[in-house]
Amino acid sequence: MSSHGLSASEIARKVRAREFSVTEIVIDSLERIGSLDGTLNAMITIERDRALERAAKLDSALASGEGPGPMTGVPVIVKDNMCTRGIPTTCASRILSDWKPPYNAAVVEDLEKAGAVILGKSNMDEFAMGSSTEHSAYGPCRNPWDTTRVPGGSSGGSAAAVAAGYVPIALGSDTGGSIRQPASLCGIYGLKPTYGLISRYGLIAFASSLDQIGPFARTVEDLALSLNVLARPDRKDSTCSSSERPDYLDFLKVGSLSGKKVGIVREFRDYDLHEDISRGVEKVLRILQNAGAVIEEVSLPVTMTSGLGAYYIIAPAEASSNLARYDGVRYGLSEEAEDLLSLYLKTRKAGFGTEVKRRILTGTYVLSSGYYDAYYLTAQKVRQIITREFTEAFSRVHTLIMPTSPSPAFRIGELVDDPIHMYMMDVFTLPVNLAGLPGLSVNGGYTSEGLPVGVQMVGPRWGEGEILSMAGVLERELGPARIAPGGLADEN
Amino acid sequence: MSISQEEVRRVSMLARLEIDEGEIASLTRHFQEILQYFNSLQELDLEGINPFVMEGVEGTPWREDRAVQWDGRSEVLSGSPRREEDFFMVPSILGEEG
Repeated sequence: MSSHGLSASEIARKVRAREFSVTEIVIDSLERIGSLDGTLNAMITIERDRALERAAKLDSALASGEGPGPMTGVPVIVKDNMCTRGIPTTCASRILSDWKPPYNAAVVEDLEKAGAVILGKSNMDEFAMGSSTEHSAYGPCRNPWDTTRVPGGSSGGSAAAVAAGYVPIALGSDTGGSIRQPASLCGIYGLKPTYGLISRYGLIAFASSLDQIGPFARTVEDLALSLNVLARPDRKDSTCSSSERPDYLDFLKVGSLSGKKVGIVREFRDYDLHEDISRGVEKVLRILQNAGAVIEEVSLPVTMTSGLGAYYIIAPAEASSNLARYDGVRYGLSEEAEDLLSLYLKTRKAGFGTEVKRRILTGTYVLSSGYYDAYYLTAQKVRQIITREFTEAFSRVHTLIMPTSPSPAFRIGELVDDPIHMYMMDVFTLPVNLAGLPGLSVNGGYTSEGLPVGVQMVGPRWGEGEILSMAGVLERELGPARIAPGGLADEN
Repeated sequence: MSISQEEVRRVSMLARLEIDEGEIASLTRHFQEILQYFNSLQELDLEGINPFVMEGVEGTPWREDRAVQWDGRSEVLSGSPRREEDFFMVPSILGEEG
């Protein structure tokens, strides 16, 4: 009997009941990775021996009567921008290709403490900058529903890994949509929590006022389980809230949505949307309405017209500052040079890819003397207006619904030389980061070509529970996310 | 607002990031496109908005300033591309301009 396709919660239950050993589960996962990853390229590093060793340890602890954790035996994959002690952490960049972190990210510690087994590190857009996982020094990742297409990005490897059934849970990071957009393109759940819910200690910084870590899963229960494991105060991350977190599994007990108001964002209709995406949004609204929710139209005029402009000032500005640390001196790539200035210039030229260079330069430009007020300060002020628009909307409704991405998965190579068009892929997701809110992408069906269509649910700050409740109601109607064939013709 | 190729060269020095001459034209074009998106922002009424205070965000949580022993020192140093004993090595600094 294979454990393939089980959810994390099912695995944890079956390991507890001794229906499977942790080693059996881990071997099944590694076999799935072995058969598909040559095609999908979702992984940068696979830690086979380490994972088997850890599985054996967990098995012997269970045999000696030690109580299991909430994720004991669950195989997981972590995006390659989260530090893993002694395991390469590359950010999909040449500049960090040989780097092994001397410490673990807080989320890595938390997963292991809960009993999860980390199988490896997933492919991504370099330094999390991109929407397709094509900007990787390790080659593009492929969409498991159609391997000629992108899985989305930047956390495309983690999304593809969960969609293709490598593991039930993978971690991603989301700065402007990097969890939700690939979840949408791969047909699974992807949750970007409220800014400050999960510690970012050990997450390699891209844009610090926007970055947040979150889970990918195929069931809502697994999302709640992940939050229970990961959401906690952390003295090592000063932006992480010190408030107590609820038990997120409690929110799944909700059966009816009567008394709940769902806002539909009017402005998304002004965009050139793929018709199956509009249909997906309508379908989700209908199910929520049938479950008792009242649908109300909501307007976010500045958010939807100026979000993109503000984001592409703020995110590159923060990136240019954060990426200044890659200087060829203390770690990572270092080119030979006659003097210190040449060392910086040459190392950074050789180490960073095109998109990262573009963003560093844009950020340096908007922060440079004479332009700071005009660009960065203006963008920050617009960000305040966007935050207010959301606050005002959430005084009237409990959650907001909009598309996750304007289009389903596009072909590899289709947008890679058209950065502005690529940036448009995040037009519905990045305002949520600017306002620091939680957002979840759920599957809302498939196009006529069989490509998944994502629908985004957005909540007020700390509104993860509200979103999970609604997603749970949807899941009861639509079922859990399907496992993609991943390039194997004889499956599905 | 427009941007010149000369400015792109200046910015690349500020960013300590060498770029090939052949990349300058496409980068300049990219900057122009991004700034076009930005233009719509300037039409908004931003009077009286404090850019530094995020509404609804709790303040920075304070913690006690307590020293904690950490055992990763040698691992940190071993990641260095050039090293002498417990120091990071860099090429000559003195006499350099820029």
